[in-house]
Amino acid sequence: MRNYHLRKFAPALFASLALLPITRADELSELKETLRALEQKILVLERKQEIKDEAAAAAAPATPKITVNDKGVTLASADAANSLRIRGLVQLDHRWFFSDDASLQNSSFVLRRARIIVEGTFAKQFSYQIVPEFGGANPALVDANFTWTLAPELQFKFGRFKAPVGLELLQSDSWTFFNERSVASLLVPNRDLGILAQGDVLGGKLNYTVGIIGGVADGANTTNSDFDNEKEAVGRLFATPFKDNAGSPVQGLGFGIAGTYGRAKGTNGRSAGYRTDGQQAIFTYLASTITDGPNWRITPQLDYRNGSFGLLGEYVISTVNVRANPTGKLSELQNKAWQVSAGYVLTGENSSYNGVVPANDFSLSKGTWGAFEVAARYSNLKIDDSAFPLFANPISSINESTGYALGLNWYLTKAVRFTFDYYQTEFERIATAPPTTNPILKNDEKAFISRFQIAF
Amino acid sequence: MKSKFLLLAGLGLSLAGGLHAKTIELLNVSYDPTRQLYVEYNKAFAAHWKAKTGDDVTIKQSHGGSGKQARSVIDGLPADVVTLALSADVDALYENGRHIPKDWQKRLANNSAPYTSTIVFLVRKGNPKGIKDWDDLVKPGVGVVTPNPKTSGGARWNYLAAWEFAKRKLGSDDAAKEFVAKLFRNVPVLDSGARGSTTTFVQRGIGDVAISWENEAFLVLKEFGADKYEIVVPSLSILAEPTVSLVDKVVKKKGTEAVAQAYLDYLYSDEGQEIAARNFYRPRNQAIAAKYPDNFAKVELFTIDAAFGGWAKAQKTHFADGGTFDQIYAK
Repeated sequence: MRNYHLRKFAPALFASLALLPITRADELSELKETLRALEQKILVLERKQEIKDEAAAAAAPATPKITVNDKGVTLASADAANSLRIRGLVQLDHRWFFSDDASLQNSSFVLRRARIIVEGTFAKQFSYQIVPEFGGANPALVDANFTWTLAPELQFKFGRFKAPVGLELLQSDSWTFFNERSVASLLVPNRDLGILAQGDVLGGKLNYTVGIIGGVADGANTTNSDFDNEKEAVGRLFATPFKDNAGSPVQGLGFGIAGTYGRAKGTNGRSAGYRTDGQQAIFTYLASTITDGPNWRITPQLDYRNGSFGLLGEYVISTVNVRANPTGKLSELQNKAWQVSAGYVLTGENSSYNGVVPANDFSLSKGTWGAFEVAARYSNLKIDDSAFPLFANPISSINESTGYALGLNWYLTKAVRFTFDYYQTEFERIATAPPTTNPILKNDEKAFISRFQIAF
Repeated sequence: MKSKFLLLAGLGLSLAGGLHAKTIELLNVSYDPTRQLYVEYNKAFAAHWKAKTGDDVTIKQSHGGSGKQARSVIDGLPADVVTLALSADVDALYENGRHIPKDWQKRLANNSAPYTSTIVFLVRKGNPKGIKDWDDLVKPGVGVVTPNPKTSGGARWNYLAAWEFAKRKLGSDDAAKEFVAKLFRNVPVLDSGARGSTTTFVQRGIGDVAISWENEAFLVLKEFGADKYEIVVPSLSILAEPTVSLVDKVVKKKGTEAVAQAYLDYLYSDEGQEIAARNFYRPRNQAIAAKYPDNFAKVELFTIDAAFGGWAKAQKTHFADGGTFDQIYAK
């Protein structure tokens, strides 16, 4: 409005000046300067308005943003402080066992996982995750937790979550080298209830987690209520000291150590059993075995990535104190497992703990095939000799297993992966054991397991 | 017969090569006045890359105030490379999200600054206000055009050049602060970037003098006419070192690391340096600089390291929230 008035009256001012009997040159000069200043003021006002308009046009709209991509469907407020993301995971497996005992009926299709993953954030600092599972035999709740992020260096997590112990177990189901994790994951706790403090320190080069969890058996999940009055302390340190050394061959090196320590108090049935890569039970404690007293685990771990090459290794010791019956003698059993897995992306993309991203998605029309990765694994599980025969049946349970695995992973897109894995597991029982009656243990396990997966 | 066979085989191989040639797209996020430079450079690099690898590469450009551009990349603009006005803006990519490694500046020669520039004055023909040096910009009634140091890299170079001039002449930082405060009282409009300031001065006719990148000032003479504007070279100015870097997070995700690296390396080649010089950026290659004596003003230059202890310190002291600019501009 002000601009309009100035523009409107400037010509009138000029006309008035022309009519004035100007006699003094300095007065004329002064008037000219005044006019020039007025004109500059008008120009400045107009320019300021122009800049304001440009800024307003460039400013992000205040409407919420919806994003649909291979990370799911995300609804976020304009300032990104609040968001809701829905993701999904479906894994259909076909398991084919061969050269095994004729009495076994184990080759089949399995809906291994079918999950809807709901995640979100409030006020930037509070995030949550709820994950129901519809795969397997019964629907179940996999994760339900929320995280309070005070700073990248300090976050608190509450609820049901993966216990921060096993390296491969902490990796997403969708992106492990093989469609089944190794025996090393059987000796660490799976999902449990508790509270964690965690964060990245030293410029993101060291990740720490400490916390208290209810305590579950090796490889087991919580039943959503604590088993006894006792708790387990859990801790993990994982370092990536060279992560900022761009171009260095050790830039992708990470290593760490994790462990648990807790007590169980006369709890029947809490002791774990173990399975093969093909998910067949090969070791179980006798039903009468009671966990009682201290138990602890320790697991050094390593992950290395260099371009298309990836390597993951971990070693686990799990110690548990057990009694054969409520008045039986207390015995300490120490089971051990380790694995080394390696993968190589044949099509040149980078190997990653968080999955391979194909340079070009599969497309018949474009003639592109996605990414291909080959993988190999060696693993070993050793049960404490003292477990037999008081706590486990030597006829139906193994004393040691050694597994070999070869795999081919085809990433059609970041979200769609087909895996084709061959597993071979050799069994050993203690030397004095009578011939086995367990058909699974009569021959080495040879299994070909294919998986068709969508994960976003 | 044999020659026909060879011809067909050659044709087949060429077709096969063509079928396998890739089309790659890069995004160069740059500051305001580099539009013309990178239009020419991108064409040259695309031709070079095609000849070297057979692949087609298209480079998209994004321009704006340097600080604002850095913020856009931090907020998710998928830049393969950044070519910004100053190293502090590139540092921000490390500090906010680790998009690049901490030692990014060591990855290329000359601290990752393949060309340099400086700051001069652009005045209207005849220099009606008689502008000769920094002192003249603080006189009452002189309209000075410079962008906002909060968003523009060029504006920060302007600010520091004025500060150092005043400090040397008046003897203290306090006096320099008062001098720069007076200067900014003569600034009627704060644009967000250098190109906006040029628009303010040249196209909107505002102000008596624009503090400008040297390359931008020469470009104005070239495009709008030496009969309308003049360049005034102050007695002292600053050696401005615009810096370049890969955005590691983006190129690793997109798989464009090799071509993006080659894109930056080529800035140091003879052809890259020639293009910089033709566009009024001072090439590092002195033999090439010598071929373009009229493109660069002769002026005493000081470095930010010598005068202010480097960008990190200068940024914190002068342009961070609560820094000297906030103090003088709030007055």
